[in-house]
Amino acid sequence: MKDAIEAVKALAIGFATTFKHLFRKPITEEYPEYKRPLPARSRARIILTRDPDGAERCVACYLCSAVCPVSCISMQSAEKEGGRRYAQWFRINFARCIYCGFCEEACPTSAIQLTPQFENCKNDILSFVYEKKDLLVDHQGKDKEYNFYKYAGVATDVGQKGEHIKEERPVNIKSNLP
Amino acid sequence: MPKIIIDDRDIEVAPGTKVIEAAEQLGIMIPRFCYHPALGSVGACRVCAVKFLQGPFKGVQMSCMVDAQDDMVVSTTDEEAVAFRKSVIEWLMLHHPHDCPVCDAGGHCLLQDMTVSGGHGIRRYPGKKRTYHDQYLGPLIQHEMNRCIHCYRCSRFYQEFNGYRDLGAMQSANQTYFGRFEEGILESPFSGNLIDICPTGVYTDKPSRYFGRRWDYERSPSLCINCSLGCHTIASSRYRKVVRQEARLNEAINGHFICDRGRYGFSYNSLKQRPRTALFDGQTASIDEGLAVLKQRLQAIVDTDGSAAIACAGSSRNSLETLAMIKRVSQARSWQPPAYLIDDAITAKVKTAISVLDPDLAVEMREIESADFVAVLGADPLNEAPMLALALRQAQRKGATIAVFDPRPVCLPCEFTHLPADPDAIHTGFGAVINTALDAAVVDKLDAPAREFYSSLAAGEQTFTFQQTEIDTLAEKLKTCQRPVMVCGTEIVSRQTPALAADCAALLQAAGKAAGLFYVMPGTNAFAAGLLTDENVSVETLITAIEQGSVKALILVECNPLWQFPDRQRIEQALQKLELLAVTDYVNSEVVPKANIFLPTTTLYESGGIYINQEGRVQVVEPAYRGGIPIAETGNGDHPPRIYDSQIPGVEPQAAWQILAQLIDIGQQINANDLRTDIQHWLIKSESGFNQLPGLAQIPPLGTRFFQAPNSQKHFECQQPNGGSTDDGRLEVLVTERTFGTEELSAYSACLQELANAPCICMHSSDAQQLNLNDGDQVALELNGGVIEARLQVVENMAPAMLIIPRDGKLNWQQMETGQTRIRRDQIRKVE
Repeated sequence: MKDAIEAVKALAIGFATTFKHLFRKPITEEYPEYKRPLPARSRARIILTRDPDGAERCVACYLCSAVCPVSCISMQSAEKEGGRRYAQWFRINFARCIYCGFCEEACPTSAIQLTPQFENCKNDILSFVYEKKDLLVDHQGKDKEYNFYKYAGVATDVGQKGEHIKEERPVNIKSNLP
Repeated sequence: MPKIIIDDRDIEVAPGTKVIEAAEQLGIMIPRFCYHPALGSVGACRVCAVKFLQGPFKGVQMSCMVDAQDDMVVSTTDEEAVAFRKSVIEWLMLHHPHDCPVCDAGGHCLLQDMTVSGGHGIRRYPGKKRTYHDQYLGPLIQHEMNRCIHCYRCSRFYQEFNGYRDLGAMQSANQTYFGRFEEGILESPFSGNLIDICPTGVYTDKPSRYFGRRWDYERSPSLCINCSLGCHTIASSRYRKVVRQEARLNEAINGHFICDRGRYGFSYNSLKQRPRTALFDGQTASIDEGLAVLKQRLQAIVDTDGSAAIACAGSSRNSLETLAMIKRVSQARSWQPPAYLIDDAITAKVKTAISVLDPDLAVEMREIESADFVAVLGADPLNEAPMLALALRQAQRKGATIAVFDPRPVCLPCEFTHLPADPDAIHTGFGAVINTALDAAVVDKLDAPAREFYSSLAAGEQTFTFQQTEIDTLAEKLKTCQRPVMVCGTEIVSRQTPALAADCAALLQAAGKAAGLFYVMPGTNAFAAGLLTDENVSVETLITAIEQGSVKALILVECNPLWQFPDRQRIEQALQKLELLAVTDYVNSEVVPKANIFLPTTTLYESGGIYINQEGRVQVVEPAYRGGIPIAETGNGDHPPRIYDSQIPGVEPQAAWQILAQLIDIGQQINANDLRTDIQHWLIKSESGFNQLPGLAQIPPLGTRFFQAPNSQKHFECQQPNGGSTDDGRLEVLVTERTFGTEELSAYSACLQELANAPCICMHSSDAQQLNLNDGDQVALELNGGVIEARLQVVENMAPAMLIIPRDGKLNWQQMETGQTRIRRDQIRKVE
């Protein structure tokens, strides 16, 4: 008899707890109704940023494609009028990308950056192949300052020889004065 | 032989070996910037420092400046040496710009490697960086002086090794600058080597600028087919396009360097206008359809005119497989014997050269560098085989006498004696030198045929225009030399000259000298073509046969006779007379639009091949990439098309030998490699010239030489040239090669076209004076076929009564009648 009372009591407590929770505010966040803000450095969809002057940052140096462990980045480098090196085309196959962030780490110009935007679900596998027009954004991403051509020392429309940051005026080769 | 211990491993090296070289023999790569095996040591960069623990030196020393000596104990990993090298790299990087991402040397930059391996990362020096203005150095080289680390490799190569003076060091101390006094195109046709030797990115390859990184390239050992020397190269391809070519070290042929014609002569491979589909009567078709039509039309001709009405012509740019297959098909189908070379005289000269080139005499190009007397007979090294000029320069730097017997205004990057003899006078001129050089005592000891040949040398009439003193000086040099080399051309010389060169070499050898013999031939595979061709068969004889109506169908296999044949009108009429003209080629040559049937073939880079250079060296080239239309073209400048396909676009073309094999119904069944072996077996079995040919697998990477004249039986049979020229006041016309613009394949390269000066006609000043013409005048040459118009160049250093015309694609020079070599003076007039 005592055992039966114990069992009923246990059941009642259990149901009561459940019943009580029916009227509490839920702590589970509902995705996709609620989207939690992710840290700026989370690694998802890749973008190509621009420098503070609004020009493309990517100089198509091939370092990202070299470091990519799954070889999902390909590009062709070319020269723009004014002497800047840029990507004639730039392709990332997101169906293959593992979002490891090596490309961002390798990028010497802060051009390629990973963003927290992780939701890319598509029916057609070919639509995972992003071209330059899909990747290029018109902001600086996480690095607001850097402009590679102001430091690089090569003559472009950003600056001629000797006009860049921390540079002497070019040597006059026809003079022997020190 | 000094014994030295490096990093606890001992090695015995030849006396005079530097410690850095000894370490390399052990597989220890000591860092270096200024040291280069071809340029030697100067001890300028200080980065090869190692610690000498025991022996005659102690402490940190430069390993490139110290000869290996007995009892030396060297450590490359000693803390002191490592710290020294680290600080050297840091100071070399003080002013180095922050531009690796936009530098084309990035990825194969010695400075980058050394900086990373030396552990230098963050610049500690707070001062500003030194900058330089860059110069325009022509279409081949991009200059970026900021990156310079002042190792002096470029100026040492350019001035010492290469012999040109227009690039060098300027300014002093911290401001030293390497460039030209005034910007402009570099004069040297070897300037491309600056790219290879610069340890950083001061000189980078301009045509392939920004195309890719070294790690992305498919790099493959390849061969230069732009002249007969067969220099070794590395072909780099990416995205289905050959983008770059570099020199590949070959101790027998080209050493560390190649010429610019070879370096940039590959553009034909990836041209937009390269034909990649078969065509018949203007309709595009697949190769199989094209072949079916070809077979059917050939059969129709066989039915009406017999199989002897069909002829096939190849050229010296065919691979050995193609050359052999042409002959095999021609024999199997009983067509006319195939023609490979342009005219009978060339065929005869090449055949003679091959038959007298015996192993005792033949020298490799690198052996010329150690010669002490070089006689160049009827060859213009810089224009016909540029790397030979560099070899001559190295010989001259070591003290050799260079004597050039050639009617053309020969230019060499070294001191040399030029005797401007007309082709017939080469014989008498050089004969006189040899005749004077040998003592009576030496001559008496020779055996009868040699003595007879010796006395015939004096018999020649002294028709040459040069001074007796020059002959005497040269004879004196020849008398004292130990290792004389005869370099002989085969293009402009008379028919007897190749044999004369061999006989002279044999005579000098009999007189106790280590004589050498070296021929220059017209075209990459001219040696093989000369072996396969019948006597008295050439493109010229085929044209005569077409004119007579005995040949009705012609198959041109990678052959463009319009480029080389002197009488365009005649050849065009002959081609029109044909019932069937079939062309297979990989370039869009002038004969392609004239063809009834066209079948596209693959290039050296796509299917490889065997090439035999002018010294009989068999070299195998493996394909560099799979072929197909370049991605830059399929994408039309933008990204590659977004389609899935299992096939590479544009891989339809086949090797010419594969196409030809299908004409005798082999080739469909077996794969390409088996077919190659099959062709080789056929060659060895049925061609007497090739029974010494080693198997494909036995040919080492350096190539292997095989000879036709294993004994000296054929010597001392050369004859005097017949008669020589009579002075009737007419001018003899010589059509010759130039470094850029006259070789067919390299003429497709846009950067080399830019480099080739406007073609001009050369004339001796005495003739110009007589005709009242001045240097720089625009002249018109009225010939039977039409008028050649070009600028006149008046020079002193050529034979008089001659007219030198470059075989330049831009100059419409093919207006001569066959066999016509002399023109009247009134055929030249000035154009206002």
